[in-house]
Amino acid sequence: MIKHLCKLVWNRKRINFLITIEIFFSFLVLFSVIVFAVYYLNNYLYPLGFNYENIWSIQVDTRSGSDEKDKLQRLAKTNQIISALREFGEVESAAAVWAAPFSRGDWTSGRKLKDGRDFDYSNNEASDELKEVLGLNVVRGRWFSKEDDGVTNYKPVVINQMMARAFFGDEDPIGKDISDPDDKERKEARVVGVIDDFRKNGEFSEIRGYVFNRADFTNQQSFLPRFFLIKVRPETTAVFEEKLLARLQAEARDWSFTIKTLVDMRANVFQEYLVPMTAFALVAGFLLIMVGLGLTGVLWLTVTQRTKEIGLRRAKGATKRRIYHQILGEMFIITSLGLLAGVLVVVQFPLLNFLGFADSKVYTLSIIISLVLIYLLTALCGLYPSRLATKVQPAEALHYE
Amino acid sequence: MIQLESVEKVYRTSKIETVALTNVNLSVRGGEFISIMGPSGSGKSTLLNVIGLLDVPSGGKVSINGQPVTSYSDRHLAQVRNEAIGFIFQTFHLINDLSVVDNVEIPLLYRRKLSGSERRKLALRALDRVGLHARVHHFPSQLSGGQQQRVAIARAIAGNPRILLADEPTGNLDSQMGDEIMEVLKRLNEDEGTTIVMVTHDPRLSGQTERIVRLFDGRQVN
Repeated sequence: MIKHLCKLVWNRKRINFLITIEIFFSFLVLFSVIVFAVYYLNNYLYPLGFNYENIWSIQVDTRSGSDEKDKLQRLAKTNQIISALREFGEVESAAAVWAAPFSRGDWTSGRKLKDGRDFDYSNNEASDELKEVLGLNVVRGRWFSKEDDGVTNYKPVVINQMMARAFFGDEDPIGKDISDPDDKERKEARVVGVIDDFRKNGEFSEIRGYVFNRADFTNQQSFLPRFFLIKVRPETTAVFEEKLLARLQAEARDWSFTIKTLVDMRANVFQEYLVPMTAFALVAGFLLIMVGLGLTGVLWLTVTQRTKEIGLRRAKGATKRRIYHQILGEMFIITSLGLLAGVLVVVQFPLLNFLGFADSKVYTLSIIISLVLIYLLTALCGLYPSRLATKVQPAEALHYE
Repeated sequence: MIQLESVEKVYRTSKIETVALTNVNLSVRGGEFISIMGPSGSGKSTLLNVIGLLDVPSGGKVSINGQPVTSYSDRHLAQVRNEAIGFIFQTFHLINDLSVVDNVEIPLLYRRKLSGSERRKLALRALDRVGLHARVHHFPSQLSGGQQQRVAIARAIAGNPRILLADEPTGNLDSQMGDEIMEVLKRLNEDEGTTIVMVTHDPRLSGQTERIVRLFDGRQVN
């Protein structure tokens, strides 16, 4: 019977061509949405690598741009501010960092690995207290400490697990150098510790290599921190913000400060990921509804046009059930042709580095989900017309004009 | 072989009631070739549909091979239609998107325990019996009317049914082609003992059958 249906579909290829094309494009659109959704969901399921509850971010603008003048003074002032922050009873711990979690701006670098692969990673610079503030989990070695004071012959760095695996495989990364051998002015960047995978841009962001450099407020080469992070006691209210701001302005009159909680910043980042995704999903959803209505209409018309054929088949021994299965079966074959073409196209994407952010697991899962959804859609669209076909009375159908 | 007792058929809508058959009693022996005649609207096709289990009578009893079939389920009726009865229609009812041999295979698709090669063998044999073995891969549109009707006959006999029901089989053909089709039917009846019930308007054709059943306004008149 399957062979018979395949022949029928093939011999009606002109009529079926447009439906196949419709299914092909629907699959491509749906796959594009699904691949993003699966990618984000997959990322979401991985640990974030830090805590964000009861942590406030204080963005600081020193209004100096890239002016190196008085930089040492400003670095010293930064240190004073951290000390001042710690004096508050509401503050459990305070740290300075170049890029706060969920903040805009990334400092990225790239290296060629031993196996020739390009590896991109993010950098950050943080004071010794960041581990305590964010509750970072050190899995090997140690976080920055006084031990690193006065070290001049190398730069202590803490990397995340993904970076450790990419650079050193199963070897112990502690004490190893991650500086770029091609950099003529390079200084040894010695790994002193490894933390869990750390994703500054939130749960939906990709899992990538991460390097923390130690902020040294006595070194002119250090970056000026852009953020202070404070861990406040759970019972702290918004009233504290005013008090905090007044103190900060007292410490640095010409600097400006913007205070936000990491919870709010996380919500903003969520919005940035979810709003376009939702819009895209809505467009795809409407497209699928249109496709569904189109398919139902085409099938309905097909059943009407083929009333005589259905009557003939009934006269020749087909049960209502067989007719029902035939209409659905033909739809299944037409759908499979469209999907086959769609899958052949999407498997080329990784070769063209299109949607390259998705790994093979995300890619395969997205293909499977898209296939299942399209099959479900066509089955759903075929239900009513197929049922209609079973209502055809053979005696009437054979005289149908 | 075919037994109809007090068969009635009434078509009802919310507004009108049309009586198509009234108290039809008919007995057709195995191997008999009969024709049904009557003016348009006399109930010939309705009677054929009732005999062929395509339509359910409003009253009376229909038996095929001694088995009363009136209360059969859809599945059971389909099985009887498939195995015991072959249909030939005035307008052939061939599926234009299928080749000749694929058209002939249709009733065999609904027969259990038949492999693809067995189906093909039976279909080719049926085409051979109607003299169309050279046209198996043609499509209906590439054949003449007479050839198309022979394909329809091959389709009707492919599963070796003991009963053939023909509804004006020569109605769409010229007299020469009509005679050819009549010869095929007579050969099936005489050589293979197939029971044939044929609806026709043509007295020339009905004269070649063993018995004529006449209908007028849904009643038997002979």
